[in-house]
Amino acid sequence: MNKWFKSGSPWIWLSAGGVSISLISVLGLLWLIASRGLSYFWPAELYQFDMVDEKGIATEVIGEIYDRERIPASQLAHLELNLDPEQTSIERLLIKTGNRELVSLDFRWILAPQIITTSTPEKLVVIERRTNGNFYGFIKQLILDGKPVAFSRFDELLERVDNFQEQLDKLQKVDIGAINYQLERLRLKQRKHDLDGTLTSALEEEFRQQSNSLNKEYVQLEEKLMQLRNNIARDALVVTAMNGEEITINFEHILKLSFNNQLSIIDKINVFFGQIIDFVLDDPREANTEGGVFPAIFGTVLMVLLMTVIVSPLGVIAAIYLHEYAGKNALTKLLRIAVINLAGVPSIVYGVFGLGFFVYMVGGSLDQLFYAENLPGPTFGTPGVLWSAITLAILTLPVVIVSTEEGLSRIPASMRHGSLALGATKIETLWRIILPVASPAIMTGIILAIARAAGEVAPLMLVGVVKMAPNLPLDGNFPFLHLDRKFMHLGFHIYDVGFQSPNVEAARPLVYATATLLVTIIVVLNMTAVKIRNNLREKYHALEQ
Amino acid sequence: MISVTPKTLTGIAPKIDLTNLSPEQVALDIKNLNLYYGDKQALNNITMSIPKGQVTAFIGPSGCGKSTLLRCINRMNDLIDICKVSGEINLHGVNIYDRQVDVAQLRRNVGMVFQRPNPFPKTIYENVIYGLRITGEKNRRVLDEAVENSLRNAALWNEVKDRLFESALGLSGGQQQRLVIARAIAVQPEVLLLDEPTSALDPISTLTIEELINDLKKQFTVVIVTHNMQQAARVSDQTAFMYMGDLIEYSDTNTLFTTPKKKKTEDYITGRYG
Repeated sequence: MNKWFKSGSPWIWLSAGGVSISLISVLGLLWLIASRGLSYFWPAELYQFDMVDEKGIATEVIGEIYDRERIPASQLAHLELNLDPEQTSIERLLIKTGNRELVSLDFRWILAPQIITTSTPEKLVVIERRTNGNFYGFIKQLILDGKPVAFSRFDELLERVDNFQEQLDKLQKVDIGAINYQLERLRLKQRKHDLDGTLTSALEEEFRQQSNSLNKEYVQLEEKLMQLRNNIARDALVVTAMNGEEITINFEHILKLSFNNQLSIIDKINVFFGQIIDFVLDDPREANTEGGVFPAIFGTVLMVLLMTVIVSPLGVIAAIYLHEYAGKNALTKLLRIAVINLAGVPSIVYGVFGLGFFVYMVGGSLDQLFYAENLPGPTFGTPGVLWSAITLAILTLPVVIVSTEEGLSRIPASMRHGSLALGATKIETLWRIILPVASPAIMTGIILAIARAAGEVAPLMLVGVVKMAPNLPLDGNFPFLHLDRKFMHLGFHIYDVGFQSPNVEAARPLVYATATLLVTIIVVLNMTAVKIRNNLREKYHALEQ
Repeated sequence: MISVTPKTLTGIAPKIDLTNLSPEQVALDIKNLNLYYGDKQALNNITMSIPKGQVTAFIGPSGCGKSTLLRCINRMNDLIDICKVSGEINLHGVNIYDRQVDVAQLRRNVGMVFQRPNPFPKTIYENVIYGLRITGEKNRRVLDEAVENSLRNAALWNEVKDRLFESALGLSGGQQQRLVIARAIAVQPEVLLLDEPTSALDPISTLTIEELINDLKKQFTVVIVTHNMQQAARVSDQTAFMYMGDLIEYSDTNTLFTTPKKKKTEDYITGRYG
C-alpha cells in the first residue's frame, strides 16, 4: 500500500478522476439540454382518451402526452376513486390539448385510472396556428371561396394561402414599414427646421406635399392589404374538436397541418428537421411561447460581432501600450493589476455603469446635440444595441488585454532586434513583425471575449435587450444598421420564456430548445475564431526558437 | 610600426598601418568609449580605428565586453534602459552618438547579424527585402534584383532559388544564418557587424560562413566577434583582444597570434584561461 502511494499512482488516478468528472458534467449538460430541446421538434403521437371523470360523466380528451408522473394515492383520497387498495401510487398524465378558444388552458392533467380506452386514430390532426395555439381534432370540411370542396385539395389551398401570407407580410413589414419610416423622418426634418427657426412657408408647403403623397401611398397599400386579407378569409377549414364541438378555422391562421399518427419514421424525420428550421427562421408568436427565435439569434450574433469590432482594436492598443511603451515602473504594475481585477467585477455592475454612463450621459448628450428634433423622445439616450455592444466590450476588455500582452511577451527578443538592426523603427517593427507574430495570441483573447460576451445576459437587461423587438437592428431603410434600436437576445429569451411566460408548460421545452441553440451559436462563433487562430499559428509558428 | 603581411587564406591584403591610418582608410573611429550598465562599467576607455574593407575580429574571454563594443557600433545598446555611453564612435567623421543622428538610418548603414539565426516568420523573399520595404521600395524589379544579388552574395541563391516564396523557417540553421546575412546586405550597408555568427552552427555550415565572410569584405567592412580563436585567425585581417572591458592589444592578426606584445594576450591565445 505504502509502495503504491510512493509510486504516484493515486495522484494520477485522482487527476484523471478530476478530468473525468469535468468531462462527464459538460457532456451531461449538453446531453440534457440537447435531448430535451430537440425532442420538442419531434412530431408526437396523438391520442384520444375516452374517460369518466370523478362525477361519472363520460368525456373525451384529445392531445399529445406531454409528461407523466406518479403521485401517492393518499393525495387523491378526496376524489373517491374506486382504486385497488394495494395501489399506493397513481400515474397521472399531462396532456397538451390545445384548442385555446374552447378551454382557457391548453394543458390538462388526467389520472390513469379514469381512462377507459386509449386510441391513436389515424384521422387525428394537429394544426399549428397563428393564434390560439395548436388545434387537435378531426377534419370535417374544407371550404374554398365559401364552397365546400374535397379534402384532397388541401395542399393546393395551403400553398395559395401561404402565397397570400407572404405578400401580406411583405406589404406589412417592408412596404408599409418603409412608408411609416419615411413619414417619421419627414416629421423629424420639419421639426428640426422648426427648432432651428429655418422653417419657411415654402418649406412647409413642400413637407405637406411630401407627406400627402406618402399618405396617399399608404392608403393604397392599406387597400391592397384589406383585399389580400379578404382573399384569404374566403378559405376555411371546419374541424371537430374533442367532445364533438365544431370549429371553423380560417386559413389565414393555419401554418401547418399534420396527421402525426400516419407519419412513417422518414416522414417524422423530415418534419423534425423542418420544425428545427422553422424554429431558427421564424419570428416568435403568442408572447414568445410559440414560433421561432430568429430575431433573438440575429440580435445575439449582431451584438457579439459589434462587440468584437469594438473590443479588439481597443484591447490590442491598450496591451501594446502597456507592454511596449509604458515605463517598467510601479504605476504600470498597478495598472496591470487593475486591468486583471476588472475581469472579476460582476457583470451586472458593468450593466449599471453602461446604463448610467453610456445610455444616460453619452446617449443623452448625443440626443441633445444631434437628435434634438426627436426630443423628448430619446434616440440614443435609451438602451440599444450600440450601448450593449460597448458595455460588453468594456466587460471583455481585460481578457483581450491580458492575452495580447502574454502574446507580446512570448515573442523572442532576437526577432525584434533583427528588425531594429535592419533600420526599422520601433513602430515599423511593431507593425510588420510583432503584431503578425502575436496575432494568434490576440485571436485567443478575442475567442475568450466572444465566449464570455455571447453568454452574458445580466448587463444587457439594463442596456438594450427587450422581450419583443418590433424591428431588427438591420433592415432595408437607410441607414440600414440602426444602432439605436433595442434588440432581442437568446440568453434573455431563455429567461423570458422560462420565467416570465404566461404559459409555463408550453414554454418548458422552448427553454431547452433555445438553450441548445444558444450553446450551438457560441460554439460556432468560437470554432470560427479558433479556425482563424490556427491558420495564423501555422503561418507564424516561429516562437519555438 | 605594425604592418600587415600577406596571408594565405584571405589573399593579398593591402598593407595598412593601424596606428597611422589615413582618413580614407578608416571605416570607424572609436575614441575614449566608456560604457556603463547602471553603476558597473563594462567598457573602459576604448580607442581604436577599424579599417575599411577589411575583417576585424574581437576576441576575448566571456564577459570581456567584445559583444558590448560591437553593439555600440550600431547603437543596439540603446535598447537596454540602464546602459549609458560616453565617448565617440565616428562614421564618416560624424559621431554616431550625436543627438542629430537618426538611429534607424545608422542601422541601415551598419548592419548586424546575431549569434542565433533570427529569420522572420515570412517567406525567404520577404525576409531578404525586409530592409528595402522599410525604406519604401516598391519597384518589383529592384526588389527582385536585390533578392538575387543578396542571396548570391550570401552564397545561398543556388539552394533557395526554387523556393523563394516558402517560409524561411523551413531552412536549416546554416541556411537561416546565411539568409540573415543576405537580409543584412540587401540594404547595402557600409559596415557589417557579426556577433558570433557561427556559434550555433555545425562545422560544415561554419566553414561556408567563414568562406562567405572572406568574400564579403570586398564590398563591406566586416567586424566579427568570436570566441573561437582559430576562426579569428582564419578569417580576420585585424584582431583586437579584449579583457575585462579593456582593449588589451590590437594589431594585425598574424602578429597578434604569432608574437603578441602583452602577457595577457599570450596567456589567452595559448589557452591558459578563457
